[in-house]
Amino acid sequence: MTTHAPIQTTAHNAPQGERKNYLNCTTGFWSWASTLDHKRIGVMYLVGTSLAFLAGGLFALLIRLHLWKPEGALFDNATYNQVFTLHGVFMVFMFIIPAIPGSLGNIVLPLMLGTKDVALPRLNLLSFYLWLGGTLMALYAILAGGFDTGWTFYTPYSLYTDKAVVAIGLAVFVLGFSSIFTGLNFIVTTHKLRAKGLTWFRMPLFVWAIYATSLLQVLATPVLGITVALVALERWYGVGIFDPRMGGDPVLFQHFFWFYSHPAVYIMILPAMGVISEMLTVHSRKPLFGYKMIAFSSLAIAVISFLVWGHHMFTSGQSTYAMFAFSFLTFFVAIPTAIKEFSWVATVWKGSIALNAPLLYALAFLIIFAIGGLTGVILGALSVDIHLHDTYFVVAHFHYVMMGSTALAFFAGLHHWWPKIFGKMYSEFAAKIACAIIFVGFNLTFIPQFVMGSRGMPRRYAQYVPEFEVFHQWSTIGAIVLGSGLALMVVYLVQSLFAGKPAMKNQWGGVTLDWETPTPPPLENFDHPPVVTREVYDYSTVDFKAMRTPANTN
Amino acid sequence: MSDHAHHSVVIPAPGPGFQDHVVAHHFDTADQEFDACKLGFWLFLATEILLFGGLFAAYFYFHQMYPETFVACGRTLSWKLGALNTTVLLLSSWTMAMGVRSAQTSQKGKLLVYCALTVLGAAIFMVVKFFEYSAKIDHGFLPGRFFTDPAGELAHLEYPNMFFSIYFTMTGIHGLHVLIGAALIIWIMFGAKKGRFHAGYYLPVDLVGLYWHLVDLIWIFLFPLLYLVP
Amino acid sequence: MISFQDPTPYANPETPDKLGQLTMLASTFSDVDALFYFVMATCVFFFVLITVILGYSVIRYRRRTEEQPAASNTTHHTMLEVVWTVIPLIIVMVIFAWGWKGMNDMSVAPRGARQYKAVAKQWNWTFFYPNDPGNSVNELWVEVGKPAAFTLESTDVLHSFYIPSMRVKRDVVPGRLNTLWFEPTQLGTYHMFCTEYCGKDHSVMYAKVHVVTKSEYEKRPWDQEDPNPIVNGQRIYSQLCKACHTIDGNKLVGPTFKDLWGSSHVVQLANGSQETIKVDEAYVLESIRNPNLKKQPEYMSQAMTQFDAAVLPDRRVNFLIEYMQTLSAAGGEKK
Repeated sequence: MTTHAPIQTTAHNAPQGERKNYLNCTTGFWSWASTLDHKRIGVMYLVGTSLAFLAGGLFALLIRLHLWKPEGALFDNATYNQVFTLHGVFMVFMFIIPAIPGSLGNIVLPLMLGTKDVALPRLNLLSFYLWLGGTLMALYAILAGGFDTGWTFYTPYSLYTDKAVVAIGLAVFVLGFSSIFTGLNFIVTTHKLRAKGLTWFRMPLFVWAIYATSLLQVLATPVLGITVALVALERWYGVGIFDPRMGGDPVLFQHFFWFYSHPAVYIMILPAMGVISEMLTVHSRKPLFGYKMIAFSSLAIAVISFLVWGHHMFTSGQSTYAMFAFSFLTFFVAIPTAIKEFSWVATVWKGSIALNAPLLYALAFLIIFAIGGLTGVILGALSVDIHLHDTYFVVAHFHYVMMGSTALAFFAGLHHWWPKIFGKMYSEFAAKIACAIIFVGFNLTFIPQFVMGSRGMPRRYAQYVPEFEVFHQWSTIGAIVLGSGLALMVVYLVQSLFAGKPAMKNQWGGVTLDWETPTPPPLENFDHPPVVTREVYDYSTVDFKAMRTPANTN
Repeated sequence: MSDHAHHSVVIPAPGPGFQDHVVAHHFDTADQEFDACKLGFWLFLATEILLFGGLFAAYFYFHQMYPETFVACGRTLSWKLGALNTTVLLLSSWTMAMGVRSAQTSQKGKLLVYCALTVLGAAIFMVVKFFEYSAKIDHGFLPGRFFTDPAGELAHLEYPNMFFSIYFTMTGIHGLHVLIGAALIIWIMFGAKKGRFHAGYYLPVDLVGLYWHLVDLIWIFLFPLLYLVP
Repeated sequence: MISFQDPTPYANPETPDKLGQLTMLASTFSDVDALFYFVMATCVFFFVLITVILGYSVIRYRRRTEEQPAASNTTHHTMLEVVWTVIPLIIVMVIFAWGWKGMNDMSVAPRGARQYKAVAKQWNWTFFYPNDPGNSVNELWVEVGKPAAFTLESTDVLHSFYIPSMRVKRDVVPGRLNTLWFEPTQLGTYHMFCTEYCGKDHSVMYAKVHVVTKSEYEKRPWDQEDPNPIVNGQRIYSQLCKACHTIDGNKLVGPTFKDLWGSSHVVQLANGSQETIKVDEAYVLESIRNPNLKKQPEYMSQAMTQFDAAVLPDRRVNFLIEYMQTLSAAGGEKK
């Protein structure tokens, strides 16, 4: 089965007429519902997580519209509390954590590794159904009374509130296992299913990023699992470990919760960083600057992320030793992150930069992530964090890294691999406009939040003192602009599926194995198992002819 | 659902009474399938350890918060029954290992016997657990809000309910895993009867064996912590 | 809805409000501001550096023809990589040390600091004063120039004590006693917020902090009672009852106070049996001290927060009763 033949670039020996690919090789609902093909599973994740994103975005819009007026414009306080909780839960557990690994990771990772599928395809399908099941359980929880604890479920409020906390806790438990099994699958695939000649340091950086993410998914998520399970058990028979009335400690919950949730934020950002690495190298047609450092930084971030969870709890009454340790280590995680940011900038410098939609989103990421990461440094400083903790400054910080960075990287990857996944191209013009609107809208939404947070505006407030009104209103205007940009993006992407121009065989001139398959790929990705003989990101071998030839021609 | 014409790798049955094993088509070789599944399963076991780790952390935290309570309540547990359960599980781990060995040497009959013995061990474990729990229930030593202690045996202690909450939660979740493990072993027995497992293909037996050893290992930590430390 | 009166000045009235400015500082913790501005400046520097380099690259190295290769294929530059690792490392270590020192200084109250207590409950604050029998709800008086240390207690869920102008914040954890301190330096009235989500009225769990002169402070301004008991009763209602009880006849979390005084109701006891009671002094007092003992059946699922004698002494309960009597058209029994 293994050969020393050169990599297959085009379907030289395909039959005349349209070649069968993974999208049309079988048809019907059941062929998708029971598929074991990583690409179809990835597409299902794409649809699912995008719908979760839209739902979460709708809740966000409701929040911002409500906060137009200091006394609240839309809801009573209790309803507002449910809306912000829904926004957080949907975005964190149903969109951001699964989106890039589940969709782009699933579709692209095996292609980049030169293999037919992930190591455990049935587990992959199970992961998707766990995501779907958890989402349906969350919807049930909404109907069963809703939940108003914030996405962080802090005790003892989450133990006493008369809402469907058990239901949503179990939904999160199920979603957690979806994440664990995805990570497990990717680790095994990366170790065991690489193409011949594809050594670790010839792997694209997206693979490194997904690998580091997968380690976190497997090792951190079980702690979330036991934590929500314990909250559910507490509400059922009063275990008591988090309930001061039974002798328990509410701060213990925070330790358990953040022990997972801090690595979780790196589960969110590491795949995004992997996507950005790919965008910058392909669209600057230049190898990544400091490839090994970026790869090792991903692993370093994964390891250090387990050691800093206490920085979410500086005001909870920690001992000074704990504060020392957590603050100190928090600054350490800034260093590999800085190395990456500088390496990316150095990659773009003196490249051959094509201002395609994926690159524009990647540039937006670099700017927004700089702000997000730097404001994290501000928050890591103990005395300053005392002032800024639980204010809108923190809200702005994490939206810069989660929405502005991870979501933007997701969009970049989506635009980059769209032609590969669907064989169609979207309107470049519309994409550029949408990117600009999103960039402007995003900053307009969140910069006022930095300002008012530093001035004391607390989080999770349904009403606020009138001094903050102007900031909230600018933020709301920004949110509407942002929402419009996102809506435009959805429109032209969906439109491309029906009326888009055919994609090129190698749309952007990439040189990783994912661009060596036909577009869209056939069911088993490669006609013959590829053998890798050259180093990664060697652009001397770009096939310009494939960049100009539509994919469905021979 | 595939439209390709790749040949599948097949591991032939070693003799009558056994089945061929068809390697999953996305794998190139049988070894690759074995290695991948083994690695995946070890990662899964790591997640189980982390899940229990949270419970152990809770135990240590509250033992340190209420040391008298934990010592006194721990004494209400019967260390003899605990030791019996420990012995039973250790023996069942041995029988499971022997079962895996039997699969590796294509000895169908022995595989079935060792699996049955392991399941028997699980059953004994659960029965002993039932007696232990009944004893606690009789005293009113129940978890959480159901804790009553009508005889006031532990009334002098701070939050005795906390010990029993943790005791029942940890042993309860462990017991759940014992049942899951037993169910998996029974599934192996069905497959063994059909001759699915032999020297060329014993992966599922191996993995279920690993799971069973984990279940045993967790108990090896639980037992001294809950029963012996006091 | 609580109205926020007397807004804190967010800028020194003598200087114009600048966008990047923190809220006005009114305590001795100026180190927080200094560190904040230092880190901000560092961040702005790196941000501008990155943006300028990217902006320049995108223009200068734009791909003009399809075959245009990269202008350089450099993938390493050891000196540069060392510099951009070591310099940020030094900077963050400085920030860490400065923040740690500031934190330490803020942790230990000076000897002789006045010892206050703040009790947080859903959804109000009660403040207790050093060596003083009085307390105040949702308003705090401190003396300028005197360090004030607080013990923080919660009777239900997590809350957080936050006075932005003083640069202090500490979570109020049920089952624990956290502490904090500050020394106010400027006269005025400042916002205090609860900043750990605690349920329905988290956003209106608001208190005003009055920093007053020594002579003002000595008058014990927290213990002012109006000569008219009904005014006091109405104040108590606004501070402690309004979140759950209306006075206009609408049902909220608990029954409306309109026409409540003197009415008769069927209530359910803890053991499930029912009895008829009249809403009189005894029932009102019992409902405050032991709220979930006898409740109307339709309110069984809602737990009422309890007010003990330290927070709401009997004489203040009587003010509330006098106010409630004015809300009953039937009049009920007047004292």
